[in-house]
Amino acid sequence: MLQILIYGAVISAIYALLAVGFTLVFGVARILNLAHGSFYALGAYGVYALTANLHLPLWLAAIISVLVVGVFGVLVERILVRPLRRSMLAVLLITLAVALMIEQILLLIFGSEARNVPSLVDTTHHLVGVDISGQRLLALASSIIVLAGLWFFLQFTRLGSAILAVSQDAEAAQYMGIPSDRMYSIVMGVSAGMAAVAGVLVAPFQTVIPGMGLLPLVKAFAIVVVGGLGSIAGSIVGALLLGYSETIIAFKVSIEWSQIVSVAAVLVTLVLRPAGFFGKRAAF
Amino acid sequence: MNILKVDWIGALFALAALAAIPLVFGSSYIIGVMTVALCYGMWAASWDFMSGLTGRENFGHSLFIGAGAYTAGFLNVNFGANPWWSLLAAPVVAVLFSLLMGFPTLRLRGPYFALAMLSASAVMQNLTIIFSGYTGGQDGLNGLFPILDSTLAYYYLTLGLLAASAVVLKLVANSSWGLVLRAIRGDEATCQAAGINVNFYKIVSLVISAAIAGLGGALYAHYQLQVGPDLFTVVLSINIIIMVYVGGMGSIYGPIGGALLLNVLTETLRGLSEYRLWVYTLVLVIILFFLPQGAIAPLWRRIRFMFT
Repeated sequence: MLQILIYGAVISAIYALLAVGFTLVFGVARILNLAHGSFYALGAYGVYALTANLHLPLWLAAIISVLVVGVFGVLVERILVRPLRRSMLAVLLITLAVALMIEQILLLIFGSEARNVPSLVDTTHHLVGVDISGQRLLALASSIIVLAGLWFFLQFTRLGSAILAVSQDAEAAQYMGIPSDRMYSIVMGVSAGMAAVAGVLVAPFQTVIPGMGLLPLVKAFAIVVVGGLGSIAGSIVGALLLGYSETIIAFKVSIEWSQIVSVAAVLVTLVLRPAGFFGKRAAF
Repeated sequence: MNILKVDWIGALFALAALAAIPLVFGSSYIIGVMTVALCYGMWAASWDFMSGLTGRENFGHSLFIGAGAYTAGFLNVNFGANPWWSLLAAPVVAVLFSLLMGFPTLRLRGPYFALAMLSASAVMQNLTIIFSGYTGGQDGLNGLFPILDSTLAYYYLTLGLLAASAVVLKLVANSSWGLVLRAIRGDEATCQAAGINVNFYKIVSLVISAAIAGLGGALYAHYQLQVGPDLFTVVLSINIIIMVYVGGMGSIYGPIGGALLLNVLTETLRGLSEYRLWVYTLVLVIILFFLPQGAIAPLWRRIRFMFT
């Protein structure tokens, strides 16, 4: 029971990190980013390459990896997405092309076999009667810190207010002198960075393979639908719901069955309450 | 000559050319490549019928393909049914899947349909591995019976079914039905205001699309004599979308041409088959930036213009 509570919290925190970034880009820039899972994979492989090949210390590798993926996200928005913004389908397809390219590049460089990424902390902790690795606790704590930092950034800084303004009405924000295009780039970078943080944190206890980004993308989408597309609070609630239901099913039934939770959640939500728990409009 | 006549003559020429390929080249290798290409043509045309006309992009078409193929596999391997039954059962099962996915997601605007389809196909791929006791897991189901003994005859069967589906899809697309579907792509709210039951049209078009994709899946399964989880992959759906883009969206014949072209292209550049996905991704980026209308359908429109 306590085991479910703690492991569920770790998974939910990682899911929240992924889903909030996904929903942020959609809410602000109206980009449905199918490369979101690839940013997560890039984060994990970045740490692997920097530690295994360049022998950097792990914490430095983690920071560099996240920053590089963030800049990469900005470049993707600036060079590939922006010229195609007129058409939603074209944006979907170009992010898909990015996802395919990243997977192929990873496959080309690292091959298809799973890679091992060392843990940032090697300890095992004994928490309220449950044994848990330090890496999982670190993942939990870091996710909460990053999410809190994002909330602070959006609520209390000028740039954050500008981003929120663009998400409400891009045109009106533009009239007020906010450069909407630049906000899109920034949001894309922040979102990519957050996905990379998630990738870096789970890399030690996940299989690191080139195609590792697909399932997180599916999960992020499911969470965002359950919580309401474009709503950050909704994504966090959705992440808790999905994270805990998956953990409960994984412990009580089998790990395999937990895979189906996300799609079932999407279908049930769309039938019962299409706007999601926190969505204001039925759909965009 | 009027446009319709030129279209029919062009279609007959294309059909004659496809029918002549095995007579000219004759090697079973080329017949095999072309049979697979025809299956892709069926998938691309059926994707285009739903997504190209209504503008609701389907990122999990492989769900229907895999459903059709596995239906064929189960019937054939587990129940020993006559392989001809596959051609009937596969579309039915694919239609059931399309109803399950279409009812919750197609009522909504926005990207729900695209992403729900993507998720569903990814999860089905996982389920085939989880239930490996029934589905054979990673190896899939082996030992399907061929529908026809000769590969040449099977090629003509596939070609015939592709031609029949293409004609049906094209006729529906050109009818008042197709007009409604294109109107939905233009402005859904206006269609609704005009008293059109938009959801009904969208769901029925998905059902038709799924039926033909499932049929193509069964044909593919009985050509390969094997079905595997790779039939549910997102990559397969994406390849199909890229073929449609190369052909030109909303034209039905363009995507078939795109599917044939890309299949033959990757097969001719044999050294490239390792980098198949690279080629496809590159083609997609080029098309998105430089040829948003696609290549084949605009080309045919130009040729048609010369004759009218």
